[in-house]
Order: sequence, then structure tokens, then C-alpha cells
Amino acid sequence: MALLLILIPLASIILLNIGFKNAMTKLAIWLSLAVSAWQVAMIIFKVGFDSLNLVNVFNLEIDGLSSVLLLSIGIVAFCSILVGNGTICCPKKKFNFYNLILLSIIGMNGIVMVRDLFSMYVFLEITAVSAFILIAYQEDKFSMEGSFKYLVLSAVATVMMLSSIAILLMYAGNTSFVMVRDAVQGMNSPLVLTAIALFVVGLLIKGGLVPFHGWLPDAYTSAPASVSAFIAGIVTKTTGIYTMIRIVSEVFGFSETIKMILMIVGLISIFVGALAALGQNDFKRMLAYSSISQVGYIILSLGTGTALGVAGAVFHLFNHSIFKTQLFINSAAVEKQTGTRDMDSMSGLSNVMPVTGWTSVVAFLSTAGIPPLSGFWSKLIIVIALWKAGYYWFAGLAIIGSLITLAYFLYMQRRVFFGKINVNFKDIKEAGASIIIPAIILAAITLGVGIFFPYFINTIIVPVSSVF
Amino acid sequence: MINDNANLFLIFGIFTIILGVCGFYCIMVTKNFIRALIGLEILTKAVTLLIIAAGYVSNRIALAQSMVITLIVVEVVVISVAAGIVFGVFKQIGSLNITKMRNLKG
Repeated sequence: MALLLILIPLASIILLNIGFKNAMTKLAIWLSLAVSAWQVAMIIFKVGFDSLNLVNVFNLEIDGLSSVLLLSIGIVAFCSILVGNGTICCPKKKFNFYNLILLSIIGMNGIVMVRDLFSMYVFLEITAVSAFILIAYQEDKFSMEGSFKYLVLSAVATVMMLSSIAILLMYAGNTSFVMVRDAVQGMNSPLVLTAIALFVVGLLIKGGLVPFHGWLPDAYTSAPASVSAFIAGIVTKTTGIYTMIRIVSEVFGFSETIKMILMIVGLISIFVGALAALGQNDFKRMLAYSSISQVGYIILSLGTGTALGVAGAVFHLFNHSIFKTQLFINSAAVEKQTGTRDMDSMSGLSNVMPVTGWTSVVAFLSTAGIPPLSGFWSKLIIVIALWKAGYYWFAGLAIIGSLITLAYFLYMQRRVFFGKINVNFKDIKEAGASIIIPAIILAAITLGVGIFFPYFINTIIVPVSSVF
Repeated sequence: MINDNANLFLIFGIFTIILGVCGFYCIMVTKNFIRALIGLEILTKAVTLLIIAAGYVSNRIALAQSMVITLIVVEVVVISVAAGIVFGVFKQIGSLNITKMRNLKG
């Protein structure tokens, strides 16, 4: 079962590239949609979870945390493929786009299922390489610059993680999570501490947390619309944030130093991201800074080190990947119809693009933490976790950060969607079905998770927190 | 699981640090795209050396060798994609000078 999640996307890529160019170009979208939809169905209905145990080559496992991530990978990939169909121009580029998305799905499924540091590195590189190509996709000088920045910083992060893996290999004799944990925990030798620090910093670079966030707005902004929805929604969350949750809670353990570093980095990220988002005129750049700010919440919650904190981090990770993808899809619709991303030049777009306007309202209210949407519950869990762990100041500051989130989103909404319509944009229409449908799906998920919250907390979050 | 070869690891560690500093210096200081890639390669070679040393010290040399082979393969993929992007940059701005590419603000 676990191996199938890697083998089926791989088989699809091979199938798409064996020849019959014309037929395969038509088949590509359906095949990639089918693969991502299959993944979602597999996780929701738990099809063959135990029955299909193939030979376990990579030591793959699926637990609660992995299922949450696999679910969001499937959903986000499905929506990005649809958006790519609506926004990318020529068939050849579309074909390459679907292939790269499938490659990225392989990488991310691998990351969330492996239980070995070195295998995790290999899958991280698969994901990262497809992300570099996807960002540089428009072949203009902006996207090349964004891609190159991401490439250099990601390579430096990889080198840090690899040197950490080498030191841990020396102590543990192996790189599987269990062996490394047994060797490392409770050990205070400076070499081990260096290894832990190098690994954590590498993951912080990959996740785009604040002292290391320089590449993130550039990469998100310069990528084409469907790609930024995919990368912002799930790629950096899997490569940087999920890995952080997994490695810190299962391998390194929550020592006081790690907790403090995570909480302070998280808090700084919340405020720097939110304040920088306030001052942006570019729609996508604002969303990128907002993403940094929301990721700060996840890391802050992880820093409490309690089961509730980890559960809040995972829940917010899921919610974040849903509503951030949706906001990027909305920005894709606006960019496609108006031809600009400058928020000052547009206003009143809700009158001509009602679906985009109202789904964006759902997403930003969820991001800002307004009940009964999904983001409210995850932020509530985060604040309660901080309070129960005794970090009263951090809880208060987290709430203030949430207010700033509301402020910049209201400002964005007023400038872009509400108010009197700009005469230049009077005749534009709603974006096509392939952008509207994913936006509606994601808005429905946000609403559904918020309203049926008790069901979700029992089926998704409690299993996750019982792991730790 | 560290045996008596721990001192050997320190010697390799010193060389790793020297190579790593060279690589970082190369990335930081250079104004040429290709040289930045060479800096990345030097960094990777430093890590390769460290992994082999770690495998030797912990008596797991076979595991370390297989890791290094994988690492080399992965790194070739990354560097060739990077070279492709540098080629794209050269087509766009007609120069390999990094200072000519400052359109995005970070």
C-alpha cells in the first residue's frame, strides 16, 4: 500500500513518456488528475491499508501524521493540476507541467512515509529538483532569478542536513529514525549538538522561516500561478515543516534549547511575515509573506513540545495548505482576467468575479481565525496548547499576530474585491471552470472542516497526538 | 559505537571544515553564476568526505559507500538542473554576472 503511493505516480510518468506523443499529451491531464484523486480516496477510505503489504523496500510506514499530509498532497495536487489546465498556454508546456507535478508527488509521498534520514534526503532532493524546474517555468528573467535563489539556498540547506546525517551516522551506525533516536537522546556531546543544530537550521531554510526567508517571496511571486499554488500550498510545507515536526518529535526529542529556538523563530516569523504582508502591493507577494506568518504559527505550536501542541501544529498545517492554495488560486484567477497583480490598480472585482471574491472571503477569514471556519479551530488549539504549557506571553502574542493577519487580509479584500469597480475592468468575466472548481472545492473543505470540527478532531487529530 | 578511530574522524573533520569554508566563501564572494555552482560542488564534496569518514569510524563503510554513490547521483541531477537554469539566465540577460540580476527584492 505504502509502496503503491510511490510506484503508481512513477508508472504514470513512464507511461506518459514512452512515445505516442499526441495521444499522451491528451491523456496527461486525466492521468495526473486520476493519480491525485486516487491518493485522496485511498487515504479517506483507507483502501487496502493493511491488505496490500508489498515488500517493504524503503521501510515505508503510514501513521496518522503521514495520512494527514498524504491527504493534503492529494487535494492540493488535484487543484493545482486543474488550475494549470486553465492558465498554462500551450499543450507542450501543459504536458511538462503534469509530469513535473507527478514527479513532485512521488518525492513528497516518499518524504512523508520514510523512516530513515538518508532516504528522506533523497526524496527531499526529488521534490526540490522538480520545484526548481516548476518555478523557472515561464522562462523569463524573474522566474530564473527566483528559481536560482531557491536552488542555491536549498543546496546549502541540503549540505547542512547531510553533514548532520554524517555525524549522526557515526554515532548511531545507521540512519533509521529509531536507531538515531536511541543513540542521540540524552547525549550532550558537542558534536551531537552541532549535528542537531545543523539539521534544524537546514529545515528552517527549507521551510522559509524568518531569518532564512529571503528566497521564499521571490520564488512564490515569480512562479506561474498554478505552480505557486502548488509550491506554497504543499511543497515547502512538506519539505520544511512536516520534516521539522517529524524529526524534532521523533528523533531529536524536545530538549529545552530546541523548544526555545522553535518558539522564538516561530514568533519572529509570525510578526515579520504579517508586518511585511501589510506593506505589499503585489497580490502574490502579500500571500507569500502571509504564508511565512502562518508557518510561524505551526513552528510556535510545535515548540511547546506537548501532545496538544503537536496536534495543533499538524491541524494548522493541514488547514494552511488548504486555504493558502485557495488564496493563490484566487490570485491566479484575478491575474488571468485582469492581467496584473498590482492591488492598487484594481477594485470592486467582486462585482464581476463573484465566485472568486466570495471564496477568497472564506479563505482569508479562515486564515485570520474567525469562527466557525477551520483556521479558527487550529489557532484555538495552538493558543490553548501555549497556555497550558505555561507560555502565557507567547499565547497573547500569537493572538495579536492573528489580529494583524485579519488587518492585512481586510486591506487586501477592500482593495481588490470590494468597493466601486475600476472602469478598466468593467467588462471582464469570471475565470473559467478549471479555476472556479478548485476554488469551490477548497472553500467547501475549509467550511466543512470548520463546521464538522468535532468529527475531524476525533478522526484526524487525536490519532496524530497519540503517536507522541 | 565509536572505536579507536575517533581521532581519524577529527582529522577528516578538519579537512571537511576547510573545504566547507572554501565552498561557502566561493558562493558568497563570486559574481559569476558558474563559480557559484562550483562552490556548491565543493560543499558537496566536503560532505561526501565526512560521510565516508563517519562510515569508516563506525565500522559501517559499506553503508557509507552506498550512501555516497546515491549522493553523487543525486548531486549530478541537481547540478545539471542548476546549469540549465544558469543557461536560461544567460539567454535572458546575456551575461553571467550576478549583479545584473537584481529584479526581485527578497
